[in-house]
Amino acid sequence: MSLSTSKEAGRPTRRGARPAPVKTAGPRPRSRKPAFTVRRGLAIAGFMAPAVLFVAVFTYYPMVSGSQMAFRNWNLNDLTDTSWVGIRNFQAIFRDPVFYTVLDNTLIWVVASLVPQLVIGFAIALWLRRRFRFRGLYQALVFFPWAISGFLIGILFRWMFNSEFGVVNDLLSKAGLIDEPVPWLAEPKTAMAAVVIANIWYGVTFFAIMILAALQSIPDELYEAAELDGAGKVRTLFQVTIPYIRATLALTVLLRVIWIFNFPDIIFGMTGGGPSNETHIVTTWMITITQQGDYGKASALGLVVVALLMVFSVFYLMATREKKGARS
Amino acid sequence: MRRRQAVIALGLAATTVMTALTGCSAGVSDGKVHLKMVESLTNPSRTAVLKKLIADFEKKNPKIKVDLISPPTDQADQKIQQMLQSGSGVDALEVRDITAGPWATNGWLYDMSKDLKGWAGWKDLTDNAAKYAKDAKGRTYYIPYGFYGLSLFYRTDLVKEAGFKKPPASWDELLNQASAIQDPGKRQYGYAFRGGTNANSNAVAVIEAYVADRIDRDNGFKLTSGKTIFSAPEALDAMKTYLKLFKKASPPSSVAWGYPEMVEGFSNGSTAFLLQDPEVIATVRQSKSIKESQWTTAPLLAGPSGKAVQPVATAGWGIAKGSKHKAEAVKLVEFLSQGDASTTFTKENSLVPILKGAGEDPFYRTGPWASYVTMTENPDTYLTAVQPRDASWWTEWVQKSDAELQKLLLGKMTPEELLAGWDAYWTKKWKSRT
Repeated sequence: MSLSTSKEAGRPTRRGARPAPVKTAGPRPRSRKPAFTVRRGLAIAGFMAPAVLFVAVFTYYPMVSGSQMAFRNWNLNDLTDTSWVGIRNFQAIFRDPVFYTVLDNTLIWVVASLVPQLVIGFAIALWLRRRFRFRGLYQALVFFPWAISGFLIGILFRWMFNSEFGVVNDLLSKAGLIDEPVPWLAEPKTAMAAVVIANIWYGVTFFAIMILAALQSIPDELYEAAELDGAGKVRTLFQVTIPYIRATLALTVLLRVIWIFNFPDIIFGMTGGGPSNETHIVTTWMITITQQGDYGKASALGLVVVALLMVFSVFYLMATREKKGARS
Repeated sequence: MRRRQAVIALGLAATTVMTALTGCSAGVSDGKVHLKMVESLTNPSRTAVLKKLIADFEKKNPKIKVDLISPPTDQADQKIQQMLQSGSGVDALEVRDITAGPWATNGWLYDMSKDLKGWAGWKDLTDNAAKYAKDAKGRTYYIPYGFYGLSLFYRTDLVKEAGFKKPPASWDELLNQASAIQDPGKRQYGYAFRGGTNANSNAVAVIEAYVADRIDRDNGFKLTSGKTIFSAPEALDAMKTYLKLFKKASPPSSVAWGYPEMVEGFSNGSTAFLLQDPEVIATVRQSKSIKESQWTTAPLLAGPSGKAVQPVATAGWGIAKGSKHKAEAVKLVEFLSQGDASTTFTKENSLVPILKGAGEDPFYRTGPWASYVTMTENPDTYLTAVQPRDASWWTEWVQKSDAELQKLLLGKMTPEELLAGWDAYWTKKWKSRT
């Protein structure tokens, strides 16, 4: 089983592009990958089996099972007839006028939440990167919202935005900014604004955490060099900081878009999709369809969501792909 | 070293898999029959009461042990559905009037008719309880444990200050009194309007009151002529009154008010009237803003004919068809549906009782509960009508009607359009079922 590394020394590496390192008297070179044998293959398969089984049972089986529901008459209120219905569930979605309201709302929900989250999160990360007293405490306070359940945040903000008893109107009134209570959750536009505000408060933390981690990887020498070259703060931000963490930013934004898109908790807690469906996004609408027992239609909507997000992800990754040598 | 690590890793993986597998088939071997019971409308104090009653049952039946499962209310019915669908893991369960129909259709509930044929408890049940214990075909899928019924919570002091001698008895009187009390400048509002989740229930209550003389009491959404209640001209009058009640006598933000806001609005003294179930009595009693002397309840509001229709809602105890211990589960259901166990459960959970004798209990004859006794003792004025909550499309209806009511309140729909849509919806649904 043991392989002699000395026999293989000097051969080109697997990539073949670079020559093998020349042997020196220094530390022993890393042992190379042993050849594949049946016994080794079985051992690898044995180790992987539990994980593969777990993923197959708990991820892929529900996914496939859920997907086939989209093409069947699968209504929990009457499971005596679960026959195949082709694309009827998809037609039901595309013919439902609520679907188009929901798509508009989802777009507003994602964009209006994402941009402020990114900007404020970035600002907080830049602030937290500096060394100052009680920095650890501030970091803990900033990251705190991420530890709270989204639904609970929804309930809290529902009371805060309550027109008659809520703290928001009370503060605005005491500050002299409003004469009479704003019916935040009763009007479509103000209701959407309220849920977006709650989501911004919640999501800023994620950007702050991710960007702070990326900022800490930037070598101080780069800033010193920029300073020597006479770059100001703004120029340093756009020509040193952002280019250096561009990959992290791109990935974080992609993750956040997908998560915000699929994040019904706050809306469900605050408005339940109302008034008159005006704050429903795709996933809150999917929950209401599930509550009706129509798992066929809900699964079809789920597949539409997956398709939309896949198309977005492909275009986004293509648009943000770093060209070779772009950073250098 | 490497071999040792490999052995440890394989051992851990095998242990994990074995633990998972054994967890799926854990058995109990103490010589007792173990019943798994699941509740749906879970809350901590209610669970505590249920546990106490179960302990009493176990004392009387030492060979039966009941394991109570209490999922969070929001997910409870979905969890119960999954358990029922798998065909095992549940014996006795809480069945709601909205879940009874679909679950029975799917063959998940056990028909207890034969087991309960000679049950002594039948004679003690109120007419309503006995009626709800059987479906249209005479099958018993659950025995109700209590009823949720509406009454009018009102502020005695505000009504008096506004110059009225007694609380409103009809919807028109409510509009009149609530409008007189409304004063937004002082943050004082007349009526705790329900515009959010389940707004349809109160809107239907108004319509049913207006068509009380012609309502089909076996299906509260139908007239005796077979048409929907929404098609009646009186329904339009009802909706116009209801809309006025919102515009003239309710907080503007109540478009979005659900149960919590309505109860909070009344409890903190902001609103003078509230139409709610008896469970709210306990909540309002805990209020620090209004004293017990400042409020009480009045019977449900009547329509122009002087009659009101109580849109009864209920839930009860049933048995899973897949249960292997049906005889023991029936014993448990019988125990919970009679005598002290039933009275304790309804009292502690502020429910309208299922037992005839409960009306004599001082608990129900005094204070805010008295209006419920008044309604029970005057069945010709306070009619009861079965709501079609067992329809498979009930949840769809609730969501649709709630959203459309909000459109009405926001001025995006007229009462005529709303009622025409509801009439068409129910007519089509009933036609498709036949």
